[in-house]
Amino acid sequence: MSIITRPWSRMTLAGKIILPLLLLFVLLNILIVAGQMTGVLPVLVNGLFQVINDNVDIFRFIGAVTALLLFTVPAAFVIIFMEMKLIAFINLRLGPNRQGPWGVLSSTLHGFKVLAKEDFTPTGADVPVFTLAPVVTYLGAVMTIMVIPFAPGLFGLDMNLGLLYFFAVAGLGVIGLMMGGWSSFNKYSLLGGLRAAAAIISYEIPLTLAVVGVIMLTGTMSLNAIVLRQSGSFIDWFAFQQPLAFIIFFIAATAEGGRTPFDLTEADSEIVAGFATEYSGMRFGFFFFAEYVNLFILSALMVTLFLGGWNAPLDIQPLLDWLHITVNSAIDPGSLGIGLLWIILLVPPLAILAVTLPIWMIKSKWSFLKAFIVGFVIVNVIGGAILAVWAYITFPFVAGLFWFFGKAFTMVALFVIMRGTLPRVRIDELMGFAWKWLIPAALLNLFVTAGALLVLQAR
Amino acid sequence: MLAGPVTARHDTTEIRVTPEHLTDVMTALHDQPELRFLILSDLAGVDTGTVMQVVYHLWSDATPDWLRVICGDLLRDDPRIPSVTFLWNGAEWAEREAYDMFGIIFEGNRDLRRIYMSPDYQSFPLRKDFLLPDDSSRSPGMGIRHMEQAAPPAETRSAPTLRRGTGAATIAPGDAPTTATLPAAIGPEASA
Amino acid sequence: MTADPTLVRSLDDPDLMVQTPATIYDAIPPYPPRTEREAEFYAMGDGEMLINIGPQHPSTHGVLRVVLKIDGERVVDLDPVLGYLHRGVEKICENGDWHHAISNCDPLEYIASMFSEAMPVLVAEKLLDLEVPRRAEYIRVLAWELNRIASHMLFIGWLALDLGGLTPILYGFIERDEIVEMLAALTGQRLLFNYLRIGGVNGDLNHEFLSRLGDWMSHALKRADDESKLLNSNEIFVHRTRGLGVIDRDMARRTCLTGPPLRATGIPYDVRRAHPYSVYPELEFDIPTREEGDSYARYLLHLDEIKQSIHIIDQVLGKMPDGPVMAKVPRLLRVPPGRAYIAIESPRGQYSCFGMSDGSDQPFRLRIHDPSYFNLQAVGLLMPGHLIADTMAIMASLDPIMGGIDK
Repeated sequence: MSIITRPWSRMTLAGKIILPLLLLFVLLNILIVAGQMTGVLPVLVNGLFQVINDNVDIFRFIGAVTALLLFTVPAAFVIIFMEMKLIAFINLRLGPNRQGPWGVLSSTLHGFKVLAKEDFTPTGADVPVFTLAPVVTYLGAVMTIMVIPFAPGLFGLDMNLGLLYFFAVAGLGVIGLMMGGWSSFNKYSLLGGLRAAAAIISYEIPLTLAVVGVIMLTGTMSLNAIVLRQSGSFIDWFAFQQPLAFIIFFIAATAEGGRTPFDLTEADSEIVAGFATEYSGMRFGFFFFAEYVNLFILSALMVTLFLGGWNAPLDIQPLLDWLHITVNSAIDPGSLGIGLLWIILLVPPLAILAVTLPIWMIKSKWSFLKAFIVGFVIVNVIGGAILAVWAYITFPFVAGLFWFFGKAFTMVALFVIMRGTLPRVRIDELMGFAWKWLIPAALLNLFVTAGALLVLQAR
Repeated sequence: MLAGPVTARHDTTEIRVTPEHLTDVMTALHDQPELRFLILSDLAGVDTGTVMQVVYHLWSDATPDWLRVICGDLLRDDPRIPSVTFLWNGAEWAEREAYDMFGIIFEGNRDLRRIYMSPDYQSFPLRKDFLLPDDSSRSPGMGIRHMEQAAPPAETRSAPTLRRGTGAATIAPGDAPTTATLPAAIGPEASA
Repeated sequence: MTADPTLVRSLDDPDLMVQTPATIYDAIPPYPPRTEREAEFYAMGDGEMLINIGPQHPSTHGVLRVVLKIDGERVVDLDPVLGYLHRGVEKICENGDWHHAISNCDPLEYIASMFSEAMPVLVAEKLLDLEVPRRAEYIRVLAWELNRIASHMLFIGWLALDLGGLTPILYGFIERDEIVEMLAALTGQRLLFNYLRIGGVNGDLNHEFLSRLGDWMSHALKRADDESKLLNSNEIFVHRTRGLGVIDRDMARRTCLTGPPLRATGIPYDVRRAHPYSVYPELEFDIPTREEGDSYARYLLHLDEIKQSIHIIDQVLGKMPDGPVMAKVPRLLRVPPGRAYIAIESPRGQYSCFGMSDGSDQPFRLRIHDPSYFNLQAVGLLMPGHLIADTMAIMASLDPIMGGIDK
């Protein structure tokens, strides 16, 4: 209460933030009630729904673009933090442990630090190209997320040429790297840019050829259709039907994403930082985020194409049917009626109190506030877990998201573990490996798949 | 061909040669099968205060001793000596170092330029007449003077230049501080 | 400053940094070539360009600058430029007394400074004909071998790091840290020990050192094996180092290589056996050699030497005699005139010193021969024809330490 009774100039920072929000909330309530009473609001809302329903594709697209742009940066933060911690674990170090619990905020704070740094352009640089290069790379990375199906019904755009679109847009990234390498007026950057161009263009061929087998099996390039084709248990995944293609795709994706052991584009022990040598501040940040977004996207694509996308690895429904067990835990919240309101209002405080009081009694040295905070956290964690399980059972897209992100981050972790373990290959070995081994292997896979299809169709 | 008596102390045998005979002596030591001094352990320039020397240390699996070859009595103003890089190309940098620090010119070294000091440096720091300006010097009473003379290589200069920042006096091209004895080694600007 | 614009100015001239247009980024120096070799190097062929590796570069092991002349990714020629860490240690030693020289020589080989600080000590002892107590000799050998292992552990890590492997260097540092902490308990310092004295060592073995040493010895061999497992069977590592930077015996001898690069060619030249010093004749150990002479052989040789050093430490602890650790040496040490030459086997090769005394309390001349200085010359012969990525692997396998190279 003291927040409100104080004059504005003597308020704490929290008060200065909370009070306007409170006023805004009251104002909104008044407006809504007034709108309801005068009958203006239902008309407005209905009209809005009408517009959305008439142009659902456009709104879906705008929503998807916004969501994906907002999604990439947190995803990159999560991956960077994961990489720091995992490599620290491999190196027998602690890793980041100061910013937030277990250092979880460190990558986010790195992002803010990059924003605050000086944006430096070297003498002799080609300024427009130098400025555009990170943008091109970043957009090339972000735009590909559009076609990836995260869960049933949760995707930006279901193109029937989704795979083609993916490779076309992903190829844009290398143009940004070359632009950055060329325009920096630095020989390390130049070498890095050329290495990037050579490596990525070479590895796009086996990457694409490996996918052709999958396209032949499904007969479509739509990623949604490819995922639906893999529903069932994990035997239906293309990683088990096309193992060679999966391995080729994994290796080529490592090179495509510029990850160890193929990270020649920014080999720090040879050409300092490659194309990013002269970049600083947020321009460097764009390159940096693009790399990690790219890593996530490649993992996501690998999951989509070869690891069943959002399908669960084991379909337990036949087993349950065989055992005559019916899981009927899907509660329809609508059926509870006014009871739902009571549950929401009463259960959390009571639960918190029920946890807090025993803690307060047992830990006699703790103040009530401390016990309350601990109880609050415990109840929230347990409640969140219960809610998550309930959502998993009730909504298919939650289950899909769980499996999709679980698989995608496992693949990311695999890339990170490779970075912690392996040294770097040389540029001639890199190119030789692509042209002498991967492309013939991909072609072999193609012929075997085609032959098998012919035989199967002829029978 | 030896220029002095062969002496031995501790585990080292010492011979002295003159620059004219250095090539022959070293070739013989390296090539003759009963000597087999195949490993050049060290190459050091020495300024005795009056003359310059180059000291070689060789090792052979035929004898447990080190062999020290002192090639001595080089003129301080123009120390010249044949290079041994035709036997050990690894001596190249050692000779460059001796040139950089003492100004000893090794004839036959393909790349005799300064290795530690900058290309525009003109003094030879390890000579005995190069005194350190700080209080660890042998003669603190002389005060602080600027012995380090940095300027472009002589052939690139048309006029004397003053190096900014050090406060060094103007020097004429080719006027290297090569005075003979210690007391007179105060430097050109001090004697002026 | 003269206003003549045609004048070639000093490299230190601040105007160069302010006014000159972008051509100052050219690696070609702004003065005429001084030797034919320099003229040949800076004459550019078709499609060639110069690139500076260093002095600030992630993988030159210090402030070494190498000007590479490259054609695409292939190295055509190179010109190492030294002197960024030059501090004139020999001159400073001539201006302090013999005791000062110990701490002045300390930072020369900063990875294993127990070896470089031995230089003035051993020379002065030889000139003085000083009998060092046997316990002191054993303690020296113990400290040397521990330091050798610490240095070799870093070598393995650096080689892997320059090939792009992140992890081995941290494993190497774990081992090195234990040894360094151990030596810190003995000497009081972690990096520059300043432990040896003319006539002995500064302080006897203490309880903390011995308990740490015992802990470490119980798992040292196992750790060395673990360390090697990560790389020995790594396909990429072996493929990149085997057959890379091959040195043959004649070339090694002519280039005055010592230490692991020489022994990797098959020449068993180790000063500990070739010209024994201290108590090494009483100890039993092998001189591991390899025949191939490539980077991989050098790497394996370091692993073997770590095991031999552990073996030596084992024997030293068993044979450690009682007695004083310091001979009677006056504070103001007037060393009799004469010349003396000593050599010891450091982790990087033969570390030797030629000392002259004129009878005063200061060294008349203290010439320090650093093995990395001579080993580094081999890069000029090994690198041309290889790719840029391999230059780092070759340089790391020769293990240069710029503190000693630049003196």
